[in-house]
Amino acid sequence: MALSTHTTTTGFLLPSIHSAPPFFTQQPHPTSLSIATEQWIQIILKYSRHRRLFTIRVEDSETTGHDWDEVLRNERINRKVLPSYLSYILAQMVSQKLAAYEPPKQDRSVLIYWRLPEEWAEVLHEWVSSTGHLNTIMTFYEITDPPIESPLSGLPIPLLRQAITILSKTNRAQMIAIADGEGVRFFPSTGKA
Amino acid sequence: MGGNQSVPKITAQDRAILDLKLQRDKVKQYQKNLQAILDREEAIAKQHLEAGHKDRALVALRRRKYQQGLLLKTDGQLENLQQLVSSIEFSLVEVSVLHGLKQGNEVLKEIHKEMNLESVEKLLEETAEAREYQREIDEMLANNLSLDEEDAVQAELRELQAAVRAETEPSNDVQLPSVPTSEPLAAKPVAPEEQVERDSARVAIPA
Repeated sequence: MALSTHTTTTGFLLPSIHSAPPFFTQQPHPTSLSIATEQWIQIILKYSRHRRLFTIRVEDSETTGHDWDEVLRNERINRKVLPSYLSYILAQMVSQKLAAYEPPKQDRSVLIYWRLPEEWAEVLHEWVSSTGHLNTIMTFYEITDPPIESPLSGLPIPLLRQAITILSKTNRAQMIAIADGEGVRFFPSTGKA
Repeated sequence: MGGNQSVPKITAQDRAILDLKLQRDKVKQYQKNLQAILDREEAIAKQHLEAGHKDRALVALRRRKYQQGLLLKTDGQLENLQQLVSSIEFSLVEVSVLHGLKQGNEVLKEIHKEMNLESVEKLLEETAEAREYQREIDEMLANNLSLDEEDAVQAELRELQAAVRAETEPSNDVQLPSVPTSEPLAAKPVAPEEQVERDSARVAIPA
């Protein structure tokens, strides 16, 4: 039987292994399990990068009508990923630092790092410099929801916070908190680490 | 790496600006909300019309009109807030410009203190005097040399003249610069030239 790749309606190319029924079952043999899980992790990362999705939850394998349908299900072969398998995959991603449980101390929903927080920090600083927002006070809303589309549109607040913390270690950002909410101020890089 | 040295302190002004910006964000979000409600009300009104409930459709449209008015009002509020935020930020820029000017002014004053007018004038005068003095010395030395030269040359010329008159009776030698009209005269200008060369050789030594 020839397996084929399949392009989803959103323009994402699913690899041919996605058309194989066994791919959707948690394999008992450790080697095949690790290979399959690796493939799943890659698909999840690529898809989240393609659609700019930041979170995935175990519930997404139980329900339909959400963003992960195209990946977690394959109607053509009548297969879907079971919640237990998805939970295992998510745990693997967290252990490889490709995701983090968000909110912390639970294991149902993760924040996907299709871009590492360090990379987000650089992108954030780049964007702030190029739009001329250095040395001015900014609110989180301004950053995640700017009037003009930016590489940071739709960034979840926890990830934004992480990026700001990383920048503040090199004195490029400063968080400000008042009664009503929080803000941040960015500074130019001084050239020294 | 000595802590937060390069990050400026958070002033009360910064907090005020942040507060304003948060309010502005709230208004923006409210507007988004209103817009969503407007669209939904329009859809509801259409549904009612299709179902034949003209009065309910009218009610939905009236609600929508009211919310449109709200939206316009919040637009005005938003503009106010934006203007306030921009003027505060601009005045901060002005303050830093003024601060820069003041510092530059101070530095200039310090430099001027070292360079006050009287000392500059005195310095220029002294330089002019020194230059004048040097010029006089140069002149004196130059004059001395040329005077010595002149005396030596004059004395030697008299000796030569006496010697030449004694050797040859015709005083053709005196006519050194004259154009040679006859051949024997051509030989004569060579001898005085040799004499002059020897003279200049002799003159060079005392220097």
